[in-house]
Amino acid sequence: MTVDLDKYAKPGKGYYIALGLEGSANKLGVGVIKHNLGQLSTTNRAEVLSNIRDTYITPPGEGFLPRDTARHHRNWVVRVIKKALIEAKIKGTDIDCICFTQGPGMGAPLQSVVVAARTLAQLWDLPLVGVNHCVGHIEMGREITGADNPVVLYVSGGNTQVIAYSKQRYRIFGETLDIAIGNCLDRFARTLKIPNEPAPGYNIEQMAKKGKHLVNLPYTVKGMDLSMSGILAHVEGLAKDMFGKQNKKLVDVESGEPITAEDLCFSLQEILFSMLVEITERAIAHVNSNQVLIVGGVGSNERLQEMMKLMIQDRKNGQIYATDERFCIDNGIMIAHAGLLGYRTGQTNELWNTICTQRFRTDEVFVKWRDD
Amino acid sequence: MTDRLVGQVSGYLPNIPLEVVSQGAEALVFKTKVHPYIEKPYLQNNSEYIIKFRPSKPYRHPKIDASITKNRTIGEVKFMAKLSKLGIKAPSVISADYKNGIIWMECLGSELPNGEVSSLKNWLWYLERNESEERCLADDVKLACNKVGELIGKLHMNDMIHGDLTSSNILLQNGEPMLIDFGLSSYSGLPEDKAVDLYVLERAILSTHSVFSDKYNQWLLEGYEAGHKSSEFGKKGNKKLVETIRKLEDVRLRGRKRSMLG
Repeated sequence: MTVDLDKYAKPGKGYYIALGLEGSANKLGVGVIKHNLGQLSTTNRAEVLSNIRDTYITPPGEGFLPRDTARHHRNWVVRVIKKALIEAKIKGTDIDCICFTQGPGMGAPLQSVVVAARTLAQLWDLPLVGVNHCVGHIEMGREITGADNPVVLYVSGGNTQVIAYSKQRYRIFGETLDIAIGNCLDRFARTLKIPNEPAPGYNIEQMAKKGKHLVNLPYTVKGMDLSMSGILAHVEGLAKDMFGKQNKKLVDVESGEPITAEDLCFSLQEILFSMLVEITERAIAHVNSNQVLIVGGVGSNERLQEMMKLMIQDRKNGQIYATDERFCIDNGIMIAHAGLLGYRTGQTNELWNTICTQRFRTDEVFVKWRDD
Repeated sequence: MTDRLVGQVSGYLPNIPLEVVSQGAEALVFKTKVHPYIEKPYLQNNSEYIIKFRPSKPYRHPKIDASITKNRTIGEVKFMAKLSKLGIKAPSVISADYKNGIIWMECLGSELPNGEVSSLKNWLWYLERNESEERCLADDVKLACNKVGELIGKLHMNDMIHGDLTSSNILLQNGEPMLIDFGLSSYSGLPEDKAVDLYVLERAILSTHSVFSDKYNQWLLEGYEAGHKSSEFGKKGNKKLVETIRKLEDVRLRGRKRSMLG
């Protein structure tokens, strides 16, 4: 049996429209999504009406601080919402619900976006729906790729999790024991003073394409979990030796050629992504699945996608699903989509219950819209 | 496809009939009736043997791949040899080829009514799917969990860390549990490492057997405590137990309360 998604439909209206607001990190995203009545399927897809994003970019060598990021979101949120509504060709009164990121994320940016959400909800007299950021990524990934019941690798600036669905919850099988993969890459980019425009991870990816020599780095997988802080400390140490006051020259043992910054990026990516693919494969084997879905900002890395593909090819009927940067990187449309699924199963938040939280585990969400 | 991998292993082991048992995350497991060097070995089950093959992973850089395959195969063989010396239940090693990632070992475990291997995971899943709630929490399940915990306690008392404790890496034979799959094993006396080992198991139970996970985890811990309190370890056992459990609480907190940005 499937869940009835139209119990809360407005009489006489053949569709739903949701506005999604996302601002858990340095991206401010606003999206408008449309669902027609009935189950979502290959013939009844969710329709993206608009998907606008504005990223707060800091100078090379600096990360984004919560206070400054929140100010960026406050300054831009009205303009981005207006742009999204114009692009979607809708008015506030066409909307069924306002969805916002309730967590996890950075406190101050989350707060500034939820204030906008609450204001709109009262202005247009609409219900609010709080969305778990991770569930947003998963649901959008499933909708875009058509993956039915995949093992999800969620890799972004603040999260590294291997997730699989079971009994109406997205359960976490493996995750990082210390820092997140994106955080690890961003911090290394800062050490090397790699620009943050368009994204530090993207620039590392481009540099890694030019790298040839593999530098020895630790490899730390613990069951389905992994640890990355030791690797970061190690590679940062190497970078400081090479580009700091000591100006030490490192050479590749086999070829005798000097090690470059590109080689460091290459080695870091190879080792981190090998670990990610390995824990994903462990989870796949553990739950007897054969589908993988990669979501989150780091998921748009082509090398990671390529490695995952090579892994899944060696498994029976293995299939890989990945999305491009529009849906991988934080965006408003995923919040709108997951929020609308919640709304269609009667999950809305009263005003008093719209407080954001920095800590909101993926498995805390009751997935009412699935019952397989 | 897996055919490629089967082809690879047949290349290393010519003329050995192989039957695929399962494809784990990093290894393929085969069954065979051929023993590499003795006709009548002194093993419980001397008609069938397991061959575990770690194929090279095309996604990894060749250098990383070669070192991981070799290190894990050596690590696993040594760990198993040490376990059999200590008398902790695990399959015995028959032969190994480090470079190609092949281990030949004793075939343990039995078959469940539905034809699957009698791992703790398969057994609990079988009960959950086919039987009542009371059956899932019956005395023999409790006893099995206790025994598993005891086994892990014994392992930790010898400063050995499994590294990948999940319900699929525990085999049951006539109600007696034994450990398998030591690719991520290590040696450490630190409470931290032992606590992480336990935490990994706790989380695996929580995500794989979520309905009754509270009870299962409780029973496992009870067994773990009993393992430390056994007379062979004397007073030292209790001290180590207290340290590890305290650390486990830290590790749990680290997991749940970690701030997750972005």
